[in-house]
Amino acid sequence: MNQITKIHENQNKIMHNAGKYHCVLHTVPIKLLVMTNLTIFFLTLGCLQLAMGGTANGQQITIDARNTDIETVLAMVEKQSGYTFFYKKKDLQRARSVNIRIKNAPIEDVLNKLFTADRGITYHIQDKVVMLKAVPPLSRHTTLPPAQVMRQDIEVRGLVTDSTGQPLTGVSVTVKDKSTVGTATDNNGRYILTVPNGSTVVFSMMGFEPQEFQIDRQQVINVVLVESASALDDVVVTAFGGRVKRTDMIGSITSVTPKDLKVPSSNLTTALAGRVAGMIAYQRSGEPGQDNADFFIRGVTSFGYKVDPLILIDNIEVTATELARIQVDDIANFSIMKDATATALYGARGANGVILITTKQGAEGPAKINFRVENSISMPTTNIRLADPVTYMELHNEAVRTRDPLGDQPYPQEKIDRTREGVDPYYYPATDWRDALFKRYTMNQRYNLNISGGGNVARYYVAGAMTNDHGVLKVDQRNNFNNNIRLTSYNLRSNVNVNVTKSTEMIIRMNGNFDDYTGPIAGGRQMYNMVMQANPVKFPPYYPTPPEQSYLKHIQFGNHAEGPYRNPYAEMVKGYRDYSRSYVLAQLELKQDFSFLTEGLAFRALMNTNRTSYFDVSRSYNPFYYGSHSYNRRTGEFETEILNENEGTEYLDYEEGPKEVSSVFYLESALSYNRTFREKHGLSGMLVYIMQQRLSANAGSLQLSLPYRNMGLSGRTTYAFDNRYFAEFNFGYNGSERFDASHRFGFFPSAGLAWSISNEKFFEPVKSVVSNLRLRGTYGLVGNDAIGRPEDRFFYLSNVNMEATGAVFGRDNEYSRTGVMVTRYANPHITWENAKKTNLALEVGLFNKLQLQADYFTEHRYNILMARDFIPSTMGLTASVRANVGEASARGIDLSADYSDHFGNGSWIQGRANFTYATSAYKVFEEPEYNEWWASRLGYSINQEWGYIAERLFVDDYEVANSPRQNFGEYMAGDIKYRDVNRDGQISELDMVPIGYPTVPEVVYGFGMSAGIKNFDFSVFFQGLARESFRIGVAETSPFIDNDGDAAFLSNNALLQAYADNHWSESNRNLYALWPRLSPTRVENNIQRSTWFQRDGSFLRLKQAEVGYTLPAVWAERLWMKSLRVYANGTNLLSWSKFKLWDVEMASNGLGYPVQRVFNLGLFIQL
Amino acid sequence: MKLNKMIYPLALTIVLTACDKYLNVVPDNVATIDNAFSMRNTAEKYLFTCYRYLPSHASLTSNPAHTAGDEYWFYTPFIGFDAPGWQIARSNQGVVEPILNYWDGQSQPFQGIRDCNILMENIGRVPDMDEVEKKRWIAEAKFLKAYYHFWLLRMYGPIPLIRENLPISAGVEEVKVTREPIDDGFAYIVQLLDEAAADLPPSIEDEQNELGRITRTIALSTKALVLSTAASPLFNGNTEYVGYANTDGQLLFNSEYSVEKWRVAAEACHEAINLCHEMGLSLHRFSEGIGQFQLSPETVTQMSIREAVTERWNPEIIWGNTNSTAVAIQREATPPLDPANVSNQNTKGNLAPPIKIAEQFYSIHGVPINEDKTYDYAGRYNLREATADDKYRLQEGYTTAGLHFDREPRFYASLAFDGALWYGQGRRDDNDPWTVRSRLGQPQSKVSSNRYSITGYWPKKLVNYQNTIGTGNTYTIRYYPFPVMRLADLYLLYAECLNEYSGPGEDTYAFLDKVRERAGLPPVLEAWKQYARDPEKPTSQNGLRNIIQQERLNELAFEGHRFWDLRRWKRAHIELNQPITGWDIDQEAPENYYRVRTLFNQSFLMRDYFWPISESSLIRNRKLVQSPGW
Repeated sequence: MNQITKIHENQNKIMHNAGKYHCVLHTVPIKLLVMTNLTIFFLTLGCLQLAMGGTANGQQITIDARNTDIETVLAMVEKQSGYTFFYKKKDLQRARSVNIRIKNAPIEDVLNKLFTADRGITYHIQDKVVMLKAVPPLSRHTTLPPAQVMRQDIEVRGLVTDSTGQPLTGVSVTVKDKSTVGTATDNNGRYILTVPNGSTVVFSMMGFEPQEFQIDRQQVINVVLVESASALDDVVVTAFGGRVKRTDMIGSITSVTPKDLKVPSSNLTTALAGRVAGMIAYQRSGEPGQDNADFFIRGVTSFGYKVDPLILIDNIEVTATELARIQVDDIANFSIMKDATATALYGARGANGVILITTKQGAEGPAKINFRVENSISMPTTNIRLADPVTYMELHNEAVRTRDPLGDQPYPQEKIDRTREGVDPYYYPATDWRDALFKRYTMNQRYNLNISGGGNVARYYVAGAMTNDHGVLKVDQRNNFNNNIRLTSYNLRSNVNVNVTKSTEMIIRMNGNFDDYTGPIAGGRQMYNMVMQANPVKFPPYYPTPPEQSYLKHIQFGNHAEGPYRNPYAEMVKGYRDYSRSYVLAQLELKQDFSFLTEGLAFRALMNTNRTSYFDVSRSYNPFYYGSHSYNRRTGEFETEILNENEGTEYLDYEEGPKEVSSVFYLESALSYNRTFREKHGLSGMLVYIMQQRLSANAGSLQLSLPYRNMGLSGRTTYAFDNRYFAEFNFGYNGSERFDASHRFGFFPSAGLAWSISNEKFFEPVKSVVSNLRLRGTYGLVGNDAIGRPEDRFFYLSNVNMEATGAVFGRDNEYSRTGVMVTRYANPHITWENAKKTNLALEVGLFNKLQLQADYFTEHRYNILMARDFIPSTMGLTASVRANVGEASARGIDLSADYSDHFGNGSWIQGRANFTYATSAYKVFEEPEYNEWWASRLGYSINQEWGYIAERLFVDDYEVANSPRQNFGEYMAGDIKYRDVNRDGQISELDMVPIGYPTVPEVVYGFGMSAGIKNFDFSVFFQGLARESFRIGVAETSPFIDNDGDAAFLSNNALLQAYADNHWSESNRNLYALWPRLSPTRVENNIQRSTWFQRDGSFLRLKQAEVGYTLPAVWAERLWMKSLRVYANGTNLLSWSKFKLWDVEMASNGLGYPVQRVFNLGLFIQL
Repeated sequence: MKLNKMIYPLALTIVLTACDKYLNVVPDNVATIDNAFSMRNTAEKYLFTCYRYLPSHASLTSNPAHTAGDEYWFYTPFIGFDAPGWQIARSNQGVVEPILNYWDGQSQPFQGIRDCNILMENIGRVPDMDEVEKKRWIAEAKFLKAYYHFWLLRMYGPIPLIRENLPISAGVEEVKVTREPIDDGFAYIVQLLDEAAADLPPSIEDEQNELGRITRTIALSTKALVLSTAASPLFNGNTEYVGYANTDGQLLFNSEYSVEKWRVAAEACHEAINLCHEMGLSLHRFSEGIGQFQLSPETVTQMSIREAVTERWNPEIIWGNTNSTAVAIQREATPPLDPANVSNQNTKGNLAPPIKIAEQFYSIHGVPINEDKTYDYAGRYNLREATADDKYRLQEGYTTAGLHFDREPRFYASLAFDGALWYGQGRRDDNDPWTVRSRLGQPQSKVSSNRYSITGYWPKKLVNYQNTIGTGNTYTIRYYPFPVMRLADLYLLYAECLNEYSGPGEDTYAFLDKVRERAGLPPVLEAWKQYARDPEKPTSQNGLRNIIQQERLNELAFEGHRFWDLRRWKRAHIELNQPITGWDIDQEAPENYYRVRTLFNQSFLMRDYFWPISESSLIRNRKLVQSPGW
């Protein structure tokens, strides 16, 4: 009792003395204070007992915290030591978050670490009570004992920022070898310190490379701290909000620094390629709204429909579009989970890897305002070169003549001559359709604003963004609507954290994401395709309206009496399509700390609902088409006549598109436990339960309209010994409604081990060179229920279409009934697809500057659903019979290297590289028993193509007649000759062999560096991929043929310049010409999948380069800003590839909307 | 602390809802195959499903009989409609993706067979149907099953016979069915037809709702066709396929000729004809006098021939396919007749019969033009001007080829050409019909690059005279269920069988002459005696065979029979190895226009008698042997 009284006395005294002090234990009620006091009492008793036992050791404290609220740390210290802290809350604001890692140390050491003067706080211990006191900020104050003050003291001041110019708070500024002298940067990243002249000042902060400066009468020292390579991803976010130190990791998780994903694009997915070890990504189109990159984690191993990773934003499953729209500025963490243990908690959903993003949350403090504005110029990286109109006509004539001497020549010589002379651009048109339709470049804008801050009860992070992307389509001024592509995307996010009680935190997240689009009726890709399908000499885009017809309210679009042909210009300007896409999310999360029950126990529950809606409206008129005739050669006059008087309209009509609405409900609860026993034994556990339901309003059929549900229980337990040995066990127990009740649930365990060799005693001698050496390995089972096709909802039920085609009878065909058609045969045995995944990894750190990490992974998938191929058509089945019979394997490596260094003059350099190789192979594939070994899929990649070996072009018709028969329709000299691989005298499917590399690249890599000198920073990033093949679309590029797929219109494909320059002709029998013998129609023989049109898809490109300038702090201050950075960057600036016809990254999609090259100017302001 | 207390039960509730019920999202009433036979109404849907697989007889795209032979030709590059069959005619058939692949392609009779079996197995369960109706439906399913087998057999020769369905869970070896000998195939088809005929109604009573469904008349007529096919040279005593066997050595063709087959076929024809007569079927005659116009007898004869095909449910129709009505084919057969509206997009006129089809029709005396001693066969390409005598056949005063003069009414009824007349299509007065003029610059010439006849002929026969060509793109087409079988077909089959079995005889001539008489031709003996160079020809079996075959080709031209008949008679490798010719349509002057231009040299190999089975099907089922020669 005596003790207690004394403390109370002390307390009173303190409060009396300080006046402004109050007793703060977090935000503590008196009751707790009493409890604490009681604790202290018992602990003291304990101490006494221990003392009697003769072990008089002081309380040993172990803390490991990063970016943790200082009050939390203090609470930990209190708990472990039994000491009580007294402080003014305000005083701690300057050092709100701390990084500390200490083991078995006495309290003094801990306090020294926490509160040396560099934090602006001093402490005083008296009778197990710690008094904290602020050193006045921005003052000349030091806590130097007077005797140590030197006469030549000088004052140093300045600003500390990170490499992007953001001020850093809480950076410790100390004098080397005099740990007592020091301060910390304030909220604005500023510091003032009085130091002895000639001493060395050290700037340090957790996660950054420390920097030293020799003080030599310098008054202002501005410092740019560079993130240290070793600590780059110091803490990794794991499944369900878990966090693990990189040094404790067992599974394979890659964290990406969000700012590395900052590209001048409104689409985040375009930034993924080459930035993340373990991710295969590429972009096939540059059309706003359609430019999502394809991405896979560690390649593709299944042949079901779901091969892309699970994407989670704040624990909620989203589509690639939501990922595309998220603002990099809002991202707090971006992790990629790759192996079985990392994804285990997601059970069945994580079979193809997981992308996990958490958004930023507010931190206590005054409002922090960030504002970013960017304006960019966007243009195609490459434009396909087309032949000129005269060549076009000559070769079209040649195409007809060379195939059929009886055939009609499409263009009389007179037309060719006149076109060449260019006498009349309307009667003898020579239309450059691309020029008629597309601008050379377009401008895009992006704005982003976020505000964060809060008090001790609630904290907020609110962000808004708007992006404005335009297409490169031209607009006809005679229309009063805009048919160009314009995609405006709005994003609003609000994350609010509320401390409901001392141990209960509530987080409310709201996110809305809205796309408003207008664009041409057919879409941008289709406009590019139409240019490729348009005849340049049949008609002009439009005829000028003669004065006498000025009453006409419509444009006289060009066309031809033979037609109707498709006029791309008319198709483009005839109307516009609007779509609106909305995604709204509301989420409530509760976190309850159960430490009062047992230490380290916590519970978390999350409830979420989100809604997606989409609708689409088109408005257009029917173009009036005009043809020309009665040309007067002498005067050059001609008449136009209207071709579709009855069909054309001058007014807009309207058509409703699809309206899609879907809702998702998601519930997640998790119980976690995390504790270190006897200093060396770290134990943690987590149990998670999830339920998810998705509903679509217009699913299309009864079975698809039923709710999609998923539920699972999963758990994780980890054990770490002495920071050297680590073990982990996980399981997922998942249910899927797609399977029969008897095997609806699957159990998927996984386990892993890791060894930090560099933490071993024997490693000490080399630790200065090899700063880190670690081995990791995991093995586990993962399940996947997203098998077959999405429309296969319930494999155990048959799917019968009672409204299929039936028959009709009666005298006047008036009695009809629909038919019955089985579209799926019931199979109750169908169940989970499984994967056994192994991951082995080696981590090496050198000189604390270079970090290397290598992962080797293998995967074996089995029970892959596939059609039973042995069932012949004579069975008469209307749907394929399927079973879990397929097996596939995959293996590969992910490598990453990070380097960072800085130099005394404030300049710094960083380098980063990563490399991913992933390949797959069929192990068990249901296929016929081939006698030809090359026909079997076994052992080949899932994305491997089979095709014919094109030997060369046929020399002459004699050779055609005397070569193995090719079974693809008519062919003659100059057409492609294929190899009869099985020598059976004819070319058939059995002569197809695996050709080229897979269609999905097996290697994706990226490397880049950034550097800063004074206020400038530079960066470049290169990205490439390899081991990919694609095929030039033969039908799409076949000149002159009608390939628009619309029977209502005629069309003639354009002629690529490359084909015009290099094709087989009777006068130039080049057996290896790029293009075979010309033809006015599709030549099936040449369209076959073969090596002739296969190309290597590998490339290396300068993906991004950036120059930035951060305004000197003094100037920024004058502008009432904390910082201001101006930057210019560009993407897709240069590329190297063997393929020249179009941007090779687009692969076989090359005739679509081109990938864009972007030049961007940006401004980032922090208030 | 209060909140904490709330959280425990909340957490517990959440975890405890983890029961299987959450995943039971499927309500009880999801449609499964059981629903199909729960009541008559749905069972009827299943019956109609069995009908769904009937080939589209009228389709230019999927029926090989139209475009895969030599009855039509097209301009190149042809962009009028999807005509894969034409690629067969151009010798581009192959094993990788067989054209018009009825084995494992788009349209699969095997699926139809499976559905027929399912109906037969399950119809008994339907509670609200009487036995008579059930029997009738089973009989219809049996007929369809037989017809699907027959369709496949005609294409592929020996085929696997799907007597019963294999279960879905059937093993790898069980599903590997083999071809069965051709005779077994015919026998099984005939057995099914016999069984079906027993329970089918002889004719349709509820014509408003049921015309087009299978009757006993159809079953027996089809049986006659099946047996005649079985007796024909391709399948009867064909020595081309000696040694053609399954992998286990089972021979698939019987190379021994059996005249008995003809007897059985003749009997079947006789039985069918009797039933047809009993049901009131007769050769169609055009009813004279349309409104105020009195038509010439010549026009009436031509119209009888046209209307036997295009008039819905005329008394001659045994089987009209209501699920394949002639619409597109009429559009393709009609040239832009209205000179004021040649740009009408719906008068496509792309179907172009070659000159050999035009030459195949008889002279006005009812004998082949090369046998008619009064006919200037050698000078048939010479120009000649039409006179008043040709008034109802040709345009008076118009110059055209000699080939177009003095031909039988079927020639004028079946074909349109430069100088021809075209009754109907709004022109109801046969003194003022549409004219066809197709030399360069004329209305029916190549005005548009994608709507013209490359030979200068059009199959007028297929166009219902009541169709009207309107302004703009309007073309109102009176559809008709495509005649799969009509009485004239059966008569000629009967004549053929009788002649093959017992040589020329009274009945043979009688049935042949019935058809000739309706076509406005004298009896066969009389015609040959009077006009033919070899007047005795109809009195020998060989001679009469020739005559019956040509009669059949002329009578049934453009109706999808020539293709199969030439194969059945084993004449395809002769007929389909002739060049395809047409007039030089790009010429303005008649002397230039009437020059024969070779459009294509067709080539028909022995293997072309049967379709190839796709290579992938063979790899899947190694017990299945490829068709001979492929």
